[in-house]
Amino acid sequence: MSSWPLVLLVAAPVIAGLGSLVVQQRRAIEVLQCAQAGAMLAAAALVAGQIIAAGEASVGGFLQVDALSAWLDLIIGFVGSSGTLYAVGYVGEELDRAHVSLKRYSQFFCLFDMYLASMLLAVNLENIAIMWIAIEGSTLSAALLIGFDRSKAALEAGWKYVILSSVGIALALFGTILVYYSSEHILGVSNEALRWSQLYRVAEKLDPVAIKVAFIFALIGYGTKAGVAPMHTWLPDAHAEAPTPVSAMLSANMLTVAVYAILRFKAVTDRSVGPEFAGKLIVGLALLSLAVSAIFILVQRDYKRLFAYSSIEHIGIALLGFGIGGLGVFAGAWHLMNHALAKSTAFYGAGLVFLRHDHKSLDRVTGLLEQMPVAGTAILVAGVALAGLPPFGLFISEVLIVAGSYTIRPEVAYVFLALLALAFATLLYQVLRMVLGEPGEAGTALGRQCRIFTSAAVGINIVALGTIGLRVPPGLETLLASILKIFGVGMEAPR
Amino acid sequence: MSLFSIDVGSQLVDLGSALLLLTCFAIVAQRRLSACVDLFVLQSVFLALTASLVAFLTGIHHIYVAAALTIVVKAVIIPRILKQVIEHVNVKRELEMNVNVPTGLLICGALVILAFFITQPIIPLGFLLTRDSLAIALAIVLIGFFMMIARKKAVTQVIGFLVMENGLFLGATAAAYGMPLIVELGVFFDLLVGTLIIGIYSHRLQDAFDSVDTSKLTTLKE
Repeated sequence: MSSWPLVLLVAAPVIAGLGSLVVQQRRAIEVLQCAQAGAMLAAAALVAGQIIAAGEASVGGFLQVDALSAWLDLIIGFVGSSGTLYAVGYVGEELDRAHVSLKRYSQFFCLFDMYLASMLLAVNLENIAIMWIAIEGSTLSAALLIGFDRSKAALEAGWKYVILSSVGIALALFGTILVYYSSEHILGVSNEALRWSQLYRVAEKLDPVAIKVAFIFALIGYGTKAGVAPMHTWLPDAHAEAPTPVSAMLSANMLTVAVYAILRFKAVTDRSVGPEFAGKLIVGLALLSLAVSAIFILVQRDYKRLFAYSSIEHIGIALLGFGIGGLGVFAGAWHLMNHALAKSTAFYGAGLVFLRHDHKSLDRVTGLLEQMPVAGTAILVAGVALAGLPPFGLFISEVLIVAGSYTIRPEVAYVFLALLALAFATLLYQVLRMVLGEPGEAGTALGRQCRIFTSAAVGINIVALGTIGLRVPPGLETLLASILKIFGVGMEAPR
Repeated sequence: MSLFSIDVGSQLVDLGSALLLLTCFAIVAQRRLSACVDLFVLQSVFLALTASLVAFLTGIHHIYVAAALTIVVKAVIIPRILKQVIEHVNVKRELEMNVNVPTGLLICGALVILAFFITQPIIPLGFLLTRDSLAIALAIVLIGFFMMIARKKAVTQVIGFLVMENGLFLGATAAAYGMPLIVELGVFFDLLVGTLIIGIYSHRLQDAFDSVDTSKLTTLKE
């Protein structure tokens, strides 16, 4: 089994990022970024293909991919590459308008690529502590990206993000240390005691109390990064103030990676103490996130914050799926992928509106379909998908989660449906109000190059969203079946 | 290793951990910013000594490397960055706090009890030599967390974060005989970069808001 696609997947953004920093020349950076987008997409598809065919792939015991990693590779690889194209258009327009210098332009792409690289690394690592390091790396590069505009609001958002995430990630490290503390007695004082596959194997022998405490720390820690309420307060600020390509990547990729980290801990905890313990905690936090986001979506006057709160909602929904287990795991994974595609599309649209009008006020944006067809279509399609209407995948996953929770705990299903309905109505209302009607202010027209690149990004996303919306493609179905096995669904319940 | 040395060794490790905890309380009680940084240096030195002690008693050599890195990164480089930031933002004066010092100390006392309560059931798992340190490590993490909430100035929030990191390092070294070396290296690297980034942010906050009082960061809310 060849390992080069996996290496390429992680190495492509590193090379492109460092290259962008070195060359400091616009055309060269554009070529590098487009090459990176293509390489990442191809590599992610190849890695996923290998996993579908063979079950797993690894490079020297350091990188290790199973179905769950491959699922994340697909999400980050796909959205990362359309996001790169979008960033080329978006930041290029800022350069044309002399909002950023060429030096800052190349710095941006260096940070942006490192950010993608650290996330891709995090999901393909076999060692839980090194995964922590990679996730912390993505926190740090994101911190600089959020404050990139250096306006007061951006600095404030960046500061909040870096402080809250640092605390969260420190707690997650404590959880990691506790896992090591309990596993080193069985696996010895070595790297073996930190490997997922080994931890799964010996989970039944790990001390149950230590694992429970470790899971709580990991859930709070990585939950902070996933924007789970009540640790979500950094999220709307960061999403609203970051340059829009970064907002899209935060929402589509980083939150998903944080959920991935929680899931890995959950898989160990489930094997050690049974699925009840972690499931209950996750369901509780997920419902709280849904409640908080539903309320704040209602009162939003800023379109980027609107989509940010919608991210809290959808991460909550996905977690709810994983929390209830069974079919919910399938729905949760499916939800993560569709949310990543839809939310990045929404932000792509929002960014174009911001470039044109230079404000984020929801009330002053109308008639987008007429004024800016690409942005209008992006926001309309993404809005319909995010509201959970067919023919998009989010509809299927939400129905499955309702069904799954109803069979286990009907009260969860009722609360979920009520909150879902509230968020659905407001989000759809706001989105329709933005895209329909007569255009208001004229704003500044976008440059040709910006339009080409951003339209490409929007187009790729919408096509993907539509393709997987109606039915799960057979390859992905195989992957999902393997993910279910990781969480013990379809096998004998562990212990 | 003779029984005697394990016994004395475990006492010494406990002593080192206790000293770390004590410096935590000193930082909470301290009002002058530069003194807080000095106390953090002291805490890091205690940490390095405790780690070296564990390395010596167990014969696990890579803990020495981690101890040396602690001295270099936490007792030399990071304090220098912090002092530069303090000089730039010009806040040598007393610190503003959301809670006063006596209340803060009482809360910290309660946090220590909480930490012992949480770790009670898992302490018997650990190695005989160092297992009591796990509770102290968690206490230090929680106190660092509290510092980040209780203090208003950007720089003291950084110190709170660094104290949390010291607690984590103590937890890893003392309770689990250190994480594998590659992990330690990565954590140090992240820590260093993180402090740099937070330092950069403090500079920019000062330039943009004319203050590093984070309670003035209030534009972004619902």
